[in-house]
Amino acid sequence: MVALVDPTTLIDILLIGLSGTLICLAVHFIPVGGAPAAMAQATGIGTGTVELAAGSGLVGLITSSYMYAHEPASSMVLIMAAGAMGSAIMLASTMLAGGLIYAYGVAVPFASAQVKRDPITRQRQDTYISKGTQGQGIPTICFVSGVVGAALGGAGGGLIYFVLMGYYTPLIAATSAAAVAGVFTMGVFYVNSVIPSYGVGGTIEGVHDPKFRRVVPKDVVTSVIVSMLCGVVAILIAGGMTP
Amino acid sequence: MVLDLTMSMAILALMGALATIAGCIEDLESDVGSQSNPNSQVQLAPQMNFLHRIYNKAISGEPISNGLSAVTGGVVTTVLLNARFYPLMAIVIGALIAAVIYGIFATTSYAGRVASQARFKQPLYMDIMRYTTPSIIGHNFIVCFCLVAIAYIQYVILGYPFTIPFLALIWGISVGAIGSSVGDVHYGGEREFQNREFGCGLNTALSGRIVRKAESGLRTSLDNVWFCAKFGGPATGIGLGLTVFFSSWPTTIWGYTWTAMLVGVIILAVMTIMNRLVEIQVKNAYGPYKEDKEEKGAVAVAHTH
Repeated sequence: MVALVDPTTLIDILLIGLSGTLICLAVHFIPVGGAPAAMAQATGIGTGTVELAAGSGLVGLITSSYMYAHEPASSMVLIMAAGAMGSAIMLASTMLAGGLIYAYGVAVPFASAQVKRDPITRQRQDTYISKGTQGQGIPTICFVSGVVGAALGGAGGGLIYFVLMGYYTPLIAATSAAAVAGVFTMGVFYVNSVIPSYGVGGTIEGVHDPKFRRVVPKDVVTSVIVSMLCGVVAILIAGGMTP
Repeated sequence: MVLDLTMSMAILALMGALATIAGCIEDLESDVGSQSNPNSQVQLAPQMNFLHRIYNKAISGEPISNGLSAVTGGVVTTVLLNARFYPLMAIVIGALIAAVIYGIFATTSYAGRVASQARFKQPLYMDIMRYTTPSIIGHNFIVCFCLVAIAYIQYVILGYPFTIPFLALIWGISVGAIGSSVGDVHYGGEREFQNREFGCGLNTALSGRIVRKAESGLRTSLDNVWFCAKFGGPATGIGLGLTVFFSSWPTTIWGYTWTAMLVGVIILAVMTIMNRLVEIQVKNAYGPYKEDKEEKGAVAVAHTH
């Protein structure tokens, strides 16, 4: 039986809870426009919250796991940074390529529907919104917000992987430990991508969207509880592990 | 396996090339089969009395269906590798089996979706099913081959801790996420509503009123993939290619250090600037849609004084 009240175990559960919350918070930063954005009828990236957050976070998981496998002595912060970099580069590449389609394939100027002027470039947004839409494309504020969000999510994924590998490696073979930790991290990603999509109702433009302030506190509290529960499960399944 | 720098860069370049092909073909597969968000319009059209000859599959969200296909290919490849098959042969057979299973899902999904629209009098065209399904299988085979090959390189040559099926699953989900975010906009935002003026934006009121006439005759999904192959597909390929290349390039050159992380930040800054340059260019090229009421008002006030 695994001792759940052991201080080290408690810290592990807390860290998993923290990283899950980081992922949940990260999803709010990513400008997701959903189906309307795929038809250039809303600002943001034209796909769903869950798929995008998980897609970028999992690339971060690949980079952080590779770093952990080759530099086992590397610090927790460096593993998190590796995850953040992989994840942010995936999302930035996606937004850049997506922006090319909005600009030259559909031919619409980028415009945010939530702010009158872009907080970074100070450029007018409202006059560029085409008739009958909620903005279109990926303006600079959305791009920056998305990169920050993806980095947070990737860092969260790297942290869960680091914690779980530290816990599972002494119990089972290294390859199996990586497999269980990887699949579990993926699960936590999906759980924490679904929570915000209920909160934001499918679309959010990023940190400047009024929805951000409205839903983040509720979603974060939900995520803390759910992620801690995930952490407890992650420790409990180790009870059956034999070398 | 420990590689020197030249060999590491060669492997990375090969992975980037495979990813570019996978991304491009994945988007074209989702266009020829009509999947993901733009398919909502194809699904809606019969309800608006717009009967059409476009394939309508949407097995699930694009990342999940591609993840399913890639993981199937990865599992079969792993089994064959354990049976001492030559790696290239194992990957080809794995991808082929995955593509055929994908084709089965596409067929049942098309038949099921159209059957559910019987009350809107949308017919199920057997010729469309016969001509388009092999194209879907063919596209998916190439995607699956590239993704499993990337997973094989990462696991066997580079020594990633995850196994081939799990790496293939992750790349399948990522290629779907990128295809859904990038190339689908070209299909949904431009090709489906090509009859409106170029660059005028897409009014929500147009929902479901998709274009049904082709350059010659009635439009089918094969006409759509011909159009999207000119821009949507290659742009998606660039998206995934950049992801695979730049997520590994800094650590390949600078090792597992903070310098590599700093280089990553510089790459992100460059991408942000490039996006800004595109934004400036399109805003200047197409201009505002509405007049600025504040400035107009201010000018009017100035004239009265």
